[in-house]
Amino acid sequence: MSDDAILSLNGLVIGYNEPLCKPITLEVRPGEIIAILGSSGIGKTTLVRTIAGLVRPLEGDFDLHVERRGGLGYIPQRLGLVRHATVAHNVSLGARLNIPWSRTMFKERKERTYDAIRTLGIEEKASEPVRRLSGGQQRRVATARTLAQRPQLMLADEFLGELDQHNVDIVLGAVQGLVSKGTAVIMVEHHEDNAKEFATRVWEIKDKCFYDMSIEEWEIHSLKGEEE
Amino acid sequence: MKYRLYGIVVLLFFLAWRTLDGLVEGDWGRLEGGLSNLSVFFSESMWPPNWSVLEARSYPVCEQDIEFFCSVGYLGMMETLKIAFVSTILGFIGAIFFSSLAARNLMPLSIALPARVFLSAVRSLPSLIWAILFVIVIGFGPLSGVLAMTFYTIGYLGKLQYEVFEGMPNDPLEAGRAMGLGRSSILLNIVIPENSNHLLSQLMFMFEYNVRHGTVIGIVGAGGIGYYISTYLKFLQYDKVLALLILIFIVVVVIDLLSMAVRSFVNEEGDVRKPTWLMLLKNFGI
Repeated sequence: MSDDAILSLNGLVIGYNEPLCKPITLEVRPGEIIAILGSSGIGKTTLVRTIAGLVRPLEGDFDLHVERRGGLGYIPQRLGLVRHATVAHNVSLGARLNIPWSRTMFKERKERTYDAIRTLGIEEKASEPVRRLSGGQQRRVATARTLAQRPQLMLADEFLGELDQHNVDIVLGAVQGLVSKGTAVIMVEHHEDNAKEFATRVWEIKDKCFYDMSIEEWEIHSLKGEEE
Repeated sequence: MKYRLYGIVVLLFFLAWRTLDGLVEGDWGRLEGGLSNLSVFFSESMWPPNWSVLEARSYPVCEQDIEFFCSVGYLGMMETLKIAFVSTILGFIGAIFFSSLAARNLMPLSIALPARVFLSAVRSLPSLIWAILFVIVIGFGPLSGVLAMTFYTIGYLGKLQYEVFEGMPNDPLEAGRAMGLGRSSILLNIVIPENSNHLLSQLMFMFEYNVRHGTVIGIVGAGGIGYYISTYLKFLQYDKVLALLILIFIVVVVIDLLSMAVRSFVNEEGDVRKPTWLMLLKNFGI
């Protein structure tokens, strides 16, 4: 494993009872944006959940070189928001993680929360309960939570779904800000256009095989697939 | 599917009926004349309610400007309300602690199982038995009542709470865990806010339950309005008992109205229209 890798998968076999694909061995470095592509039910979510520590690998293991508390940001498919709490409360859950204990801790947490809320353009909704928000607005809240957290590795499972292009641009712009500070992003994505525009690397699961490609390699690979 | 459900309900009804028949050993004659006995008892001994329970007691001398504040009804009800309030709050906090240990989605089985056994043990004794125990241990008075109802509240609410926690969606918990939030932080910032509607509803229900049961435990000497009811029963003053029962009924209705108002802040109904006091009173036909 190289020194600067924040995640390394060592012969990782994912699945619940049966392996969903062949063993995966690879590394992820800071600032990389990886799109996981593949058809529904192929194992994309299982891979993300395994890295998040929510599913045990069937074989192999993985090393996560991030802070145990707050180093990993995670946006699940159903967003994982506290529906009856306000937008500000949900975003502050991320903000509370990486701030060391000090007298200015609460002030800093509040600043970080509202910075993230402003960046995602949901300041008018800050004191409303999440349950009142539209699906697209809720996705922005989940992104703001991760933005306030400032993790070293961000895992996102279809977090751009239900968003129109304008909102996709806002959310991706915000995530790009994190990436510029060194955060690596692994996102499950259904829309290949988003992957093309945003990702630097693609993981594709197909016919129980795992492919790890740069975005250029993937574009050539998908063109070849179309020609065939 | 619908007809199968109806079938099950009808079957259960007949099963209950057969069981009841077994319990009374087929002697249904006892019910004969029961209604007329009740009507005679009610009209001759209880009706009309004796509202002197809302007037000042003869001793000690009333020093209040308004006589009502020295009455048996007011003093007894206030003591019952205080006992119910303190024991509901203390019991609720204790129940949150134990239910978070007992919920399978928050704790491993090795912790959840002993916590469940503890809650079952506490719940298996009715509040009346707890009251008798505490009266024996620390003597007559409201402290015995508070302790008895606190213990019962922990056992009863604890079960309701861990069932609610286990029924909550998993994704906020998973997000919190993956992000690195600790157990206490997940409980305080995710589990409790997410279930706030249910928790408030249970809290208000338990308060109402404790007010009603405060009357029962008062009978064994644990303080409150039950003490006066017990005294009037002993002296066959059923009209005063009825007046106190009406007072309890009014308080229970008011708590129910309060419960509706409090819950409207956290449920989705409140998103559309917050109930006004006037609307609540109209709903209850008052």
